[in-house]
Amino acid sequence: MMPARRSTTILANLVTWGLVLLISFPLIWMVVTSVRPQTELFQIPPTVIPRAITFEHYIKLLEETPFLRYFMNSMILATSTTIVVIVVGTLGAYSLVRFSYRGRETLAALVLFTYLLPSVVLIIPLYLMMVKLGLANTLTSLVIAYTTFALPYALWLLRSFMAGVPEDLESAALVDGASRMGAFVDVILPQALPGIISTALFTFILAWNEYLYALVMVNSDQARPLTTGVMNMLITSFNIEWSLLMAASVMMSIPLIIIFAFLQSYLTRGFGAGGVKG
Amino acid sequence: MTIAASQHRTQNPLERRYALLGVLLIAPTVLILCAVIVYPLISAIYLSLFSIYTPTLKGSWVGLDNYVQVFGSSGFWSALGTTVTWTVGTLFLQIVFGVAMALLLNQNILFRSLARSLVLFPYFVSTVVAVLIWRWLFNDLYGILSHLLIQFGVVDMPVDWLGKMPNAMASVIFVGAWKFFPFVVIAVLARLQTIPEQLYEAATIDGAGVFGRFFDVTLPQLKDVLTIVILLRTIWDFKEFDLIYLLTGGGPVNNTRTLPLIVYQQAFGLNQMGVAATYAVAMMLVMLAFMLIYLYRARRQSP
Repeated sequence: MMPARRSTTILANLVTWGLVLLISFPLIWMVVTSVRPQTELFQIPPTVIPRAITFEHYIKLLEETPFLRYFMNSMILATSTTIVVIVVGTLGAYSLVRFSYRGRETLAALVLFTYLLPSVVLIIPLYLMMVKLGLANTLTSLVIAYTTFALPYALWLLRSFMAGVPEDLESAALVDGASRMGAFVDVILPQALPGIISTALFTFILAWNEYLYALVMVNSDQARPLTTGVMNMLITSFNIEWSLLMAASVMMSIPLIIIFAFLQSYLTRGFGAGGVKG
Repeated sequence: MTIAASQHRTQNPLERRYALLGVLLIAPTVLILCAVIVYPLISAIYLSLFSIYTPTLKGSWVGLDNYVQVFGSSGFWSALGTTVTWTVGTLFLQIVFGVAMALLLNQNILFRSLARSLVLFPYFVSTVVAVLIWRWLFNDLYGILSHLLIQFGVVDMPVDWLGKMPNAMASVIFVGAWKFFPFVVIAVLARLQTIPEQLYEAATIDGAGVFGRFFDVTLPQLKDVLTIVILLRTIWDFKEFDLIYLLTGGGPVNNTRTLPLIVYQQAFGLNQMGVAATYAVAMMLVMLAFMLIYLYRARRQSP
């Protein structure tokens, strides 16, 4: 019994890790290409392991392209969107979970519905709205546009996190004489904090990765975020420099890598609450 | 607030105040959603009744002419067909890969959490990054993919992955599956961990093999979560824009042009905003069926 079981475990390990490596191969290839000298890139046949490692592409990316500008824009954009959405969403989710008033259930269903709406339906009126308000080509227009998907998403997640806070804790605080908002700040917020952080991370990633609204609303390097900025580098270049683009891809994934490496527990928490669902 | 409370003596004044506070807390959400979703949604339907030239934004009322034009054109129907092909194709691969990977990752393997993170990464990486990587892998001269296939003797010429049919559609479907299958993995994995071990033990005693246990125990237990996953992914794949637009731009010769791409093309390429809005509304009508089924199921599950 024992040897047979061991051999199946080894087989399971081999098959699983083989597939995992196959799935991550494109990502490994991205990193490999980004640190490979230009001369090695175009040799035929290509080798899998680079013979020399260089950071010339990263230096070129930072010094000779508007990459840093795009990076800053994306940072400002994703951070602002997250702050707006988390503040509004936390209050809203608290209201949806712990208060009763007419139309509450309908509202919750509508929130879910809005999250399923395709962006292409909203984008034309939103674009017209931004032009009318004089906000076209600004980061503000993108923050506004991003709330269309980020707010319903965050609300849905926060709602399930807040529902998980035991109601007794809040009642106890109220009996002790705390006001409703006092209990919210002292009891609900600390209890739901891991969930709020998790929601903030997911919202940040959504905003960081968004492409379509950025494509339509912003048409100048001043306000262009990373997604459309890097794509523009591909389209406008006469000679496509793949190693430069791969270096840009790696840099663009840095926030994600940080979240995956250090904040994994928050991601997993989000999965439990339907983070990928909503 | 005291006035409001005294007017409703029948209700507990504290409850009345709480309800008011509740409404106050949700008010910012409702206002924002009205401004950025409800108003644009109604506006999109309204715009679909106009003929608007994008650069000047001048429009004239045409009533239902846009709808007659859209539903009468072969463009809409072929794009709908393309959208369905893409959705069904990529969804099928996502489900098969996703369930298989979840079953594997549910076993006791070395460095399980690392393996899980690596599998999830494609889902969280930006579509722009995913597309750049794959266009580099697909590159006709220096792409590693064609090169490996030549080396292993599968083909003897570099493959044109994105420039001709049916390769382009197959490539888009495959990259879509790579990008989105981790969603299925996460959802199924979470459910797998809650299946009681006794069910498997009982099935083993009854003489069920590996496949027997999968079809008799695992699959029935996964039915609910798979239904939700399929509904959600159908909706999301149907409206996917970034991946297809960036990989092929709808080409070659509109062969991978799905409905979201037509909307974008009409509005910002052909400068026909009214017609674009019509396409968008028509597309939403097609999706509505799936959205309503999902809403119905989601509400039934969460009390």
